[in-house]
Amino acid sequence: MAKRDEKAAPALGFLTVIEHEQHGLFGGYLVLNLAGRPLEFHCTAPVKPNRAQQILYGPTLEPYLYGEQIGQALVAKCVHDVLVLCTDRPAALAVRGFVPLPTVLVDAGTEDHADESNALMRFLFGRNKLAVPVARLADRELVCERLQKVGEAFDLSEPFGRIRAAIEEAQRGSARAAA
Amino acid sequence: MTNFAAFSEPWAELSWRPSASAQVVSLPVERLHVETIEAWDVPLPVPTPVLTTKIVPAAAKPRRLTVAIRSANIKTVSYSFCPPAVVPLSYSASQQTSSETNSSALRRELHTINAGVTRLKPPADTIKLEDRLYYLLQPSLETLISEGSLEFPCHPFHYQLEGVAFLYPRVAAVLADEMGLGKTMQAITAVRLLLHAGEIQSALLVCPKPLVSNWQREFSLWAPELPVAIIEGDQAKRQWQWNLADVPVKIANYELLMRDREIVTDPRRSFDLVVLDESQRIKNRAGTTSEVVRSIGRARSWALTGTPVENSPDDLVGIFEFVAPGQIHREMRPRAMGRAVADYILRRTKDRVLTELPPKLFRDADVELSLEQRQTYTMAEEEGVLRLTQMGEGATIQHVFELVLRLKQICNFDPATGESSKLERLVADLEEVAASGQKAIVFSQWVATLEVLTERLRRFGVCQYHGKVQPKKREGVIEQFQRDKRKHVILMSYGAGSVGLNLQFCSYVFLYDRWWNPAVEDQAINRAHRIGAAGPVTVTRFLTIDTIEERINQVLEEKRELFDTIFSDADTHRSLGFTQQEIFGLFKLRCPQGPIRMAA
Repeated sequence: MAKRDEKAAPALGFLTVIEHEQHGLFGGYLVLNLAGRPLEFHCTAPVKPNRAQQILYGPTLEPYLYGEQIGQALVAKCVHDVLVLCTDRPAALAVRGFVPLPTVLVDAGTEDHADESNALMRFLFGRNKLAVPVARLADRELVCERLQKVGEAFDLSEPFGRIRAAIEEAQRGSARAAA
Repeated sequence: MTNFAAFSEPWAELSWRPSASAQVVSLPVERLHVETIEAWDVPLPVPTPVLTTKIVPAAAKPRRLTVAIRSANIKTVSYSFCPPAVVPLSYSASQQTSSETNSSALRRELHTINAGVTRLKPPADTIKLEDRLYYLLQPSLETLISEGSLEFPCHPFHYQLEGVAFLYPRVAAVLADEMGLGKTMQAITAVRLLLHAGEIQSALLVCPKPLVSNWQREFSLWAPELPVAIIEGDQAKRQWQWNLADVPVKIANYELLMRDREIVTDPRRSFDLVVLDESQRIKNRAGTTSEVVRSIGRARSWALTGTPVENSPDDLVGIFEFVAPGQIHREMRPRAMGRAVADYILRRTKDRVLTELPPKLFRDADVELSLEQRQTYTMAEEEGVLRLTQMGEGATIQHVFELVLRLKQICNFDPATGESSKLERLVADLEEVAASGQKAIVFSQWVATLEVLTERLRRFGVCQYHGKVQPKKREGVIEQFQRDKRKHVILMSYGAGSVGLNLQFCSYVFLYDRWWNPAVEDQAINRAHRIGAAGPVTVTRFLTIDTIEERINQVLEEKRELFDTIFSDADTHRSLGFTQQEIFGLFKLRCPQGPIRMAA
């Protein structure tokens, strides 16, 4: 696809991490314009923590890998001005400590995220169930203000399905290339 | 000392006096024994000095293990995309006609009904991963419809969205859904999304002349905001219409393309997309129509047809000469051809995707010829066969055809007396149709037959739709038939009425005589049996016993398996058209020459 200088255009970032039983973790970061069209896509090669990391990091391993390592590396690649960073993985919220972007958890009302209920401040934006870490309460106002540009009808959970499909396709492509 | 005397008076009033003698209580006091230190002058004992010994461990330093916690080296791969402007043209929301209320309701409906997600899938021939990801990362169609500013009159079926998702990314595509599944709507929606996404700027739609008004109507329904130009009128007007730059969609008919050949094939003119409706019209690669449409400059080529193969696999080759030249050729075996076109063709049938569509009930009306008809028929057949036999090697296919048509006409009506067993049966059925307030379509291949039927069925309220009805009046005929409750029957020729019409308000279809090709019959039947049909559609197929019609029917049944030959794993190459041998065989005559093919 032809490239065009659209850095000035505001965008939304969607970060997720996929756990692959065999290969490990794949990170994906999709940057969309406000009409929901893709501007950038970044993904990682598989990341697999070793045994020592698993033992020593304990319960902090996921935030470390999802946020500090994978999230930070992917967000650093982005060239567009991202208004809000969305993720569907609670552990990836840790990226907030390393990037200057208001970061929000999407689909925060689902049972998958029940464990983090005490650490999250939940709120609604349109029909999107969102949450920010209690330690980052100021992000909530920023998120709501900036998301007004896309409107409340925007389904913030839908792009994560695209990322998963793209990572699977990229992985298949890599496998074909390797073969 | 207290002077109690001062209180004498008050005490006297309270009639209370202190007791004369106070009680004395004795408290025992114990003596506290205090220890005293005595003999201060005795010296304190001196403690014995403590001897210490320094013990140095004999072992080496304790072993220690250092575990390095290295930061993972995250390797990333990046892709950049350049989406076209979101609303590149000026026909956006301002020209929408539907109300916001409807839009909101539709969005809610879509969220509840379309549980699945329909994503664009890259065509198999998209090699670059970046290009494949571009399609995969586009919003789902449900998202585009529910969140965007595009209005839809009603929610599309899931299979229709899949059809749109199939067309959208493809440069070459054949949408070959069975009639009645909404190919028109799918094509219009795909065109609409491409235009709004800025992926294309101009589209040319080519269809048979009778269907132009139908396409215009469908565009106003499914894409009301898109300016559409119908190419028509005299040469000067057409020239002006062809050059309209701010009209993204142009509709032209096949016949007109022949006349405007120089304009449309001008090398300086090019369309981003050319869509051919009823693309079986170009199955003959040597025909002028095929030649002209193949010469139109274009970036994308789509073909719409309910019958991609009417008579032989060559039909498909003809269509692909426009869609993807060279992808298939005549010498290919059916299985190989099926594999080669698999990614280009999308075909769905009603029984697979529209389980909620009312059933289609077939009823074969086998009727005996009347006495007069039988005598006339027998005489004509014997004379005809005798003549053909006498002609010997000089007998041609045309001679046989003449006899076939002559006999079929006798099966409809006795030319001398006008008697008709079929008509008697039809009248009996129409009595019931009219009495129940229903409407019926009667198909015949001859206008002359339809004209006779018009007179004989007048009491049922008859409308006519065939080649003798002026194209300008045809729209009005359909409208009158639909609205006028006194009109119960519309008489149609296969040629004029078998494609593109929406008559789903009819519950009955009568095939007064049979067409050579089952695909054409299916098209005719599906005028009524399509989306929107309120109830079952009953199809009555007339067949006179022990006549040429019965023999033709046997061949038709074999031809119905045509699609299976192409689209299944069957690897037997069968002759799918009528051969000269088969036509002569209708009369048990020996074919004088080798097999030839016949276009239906």
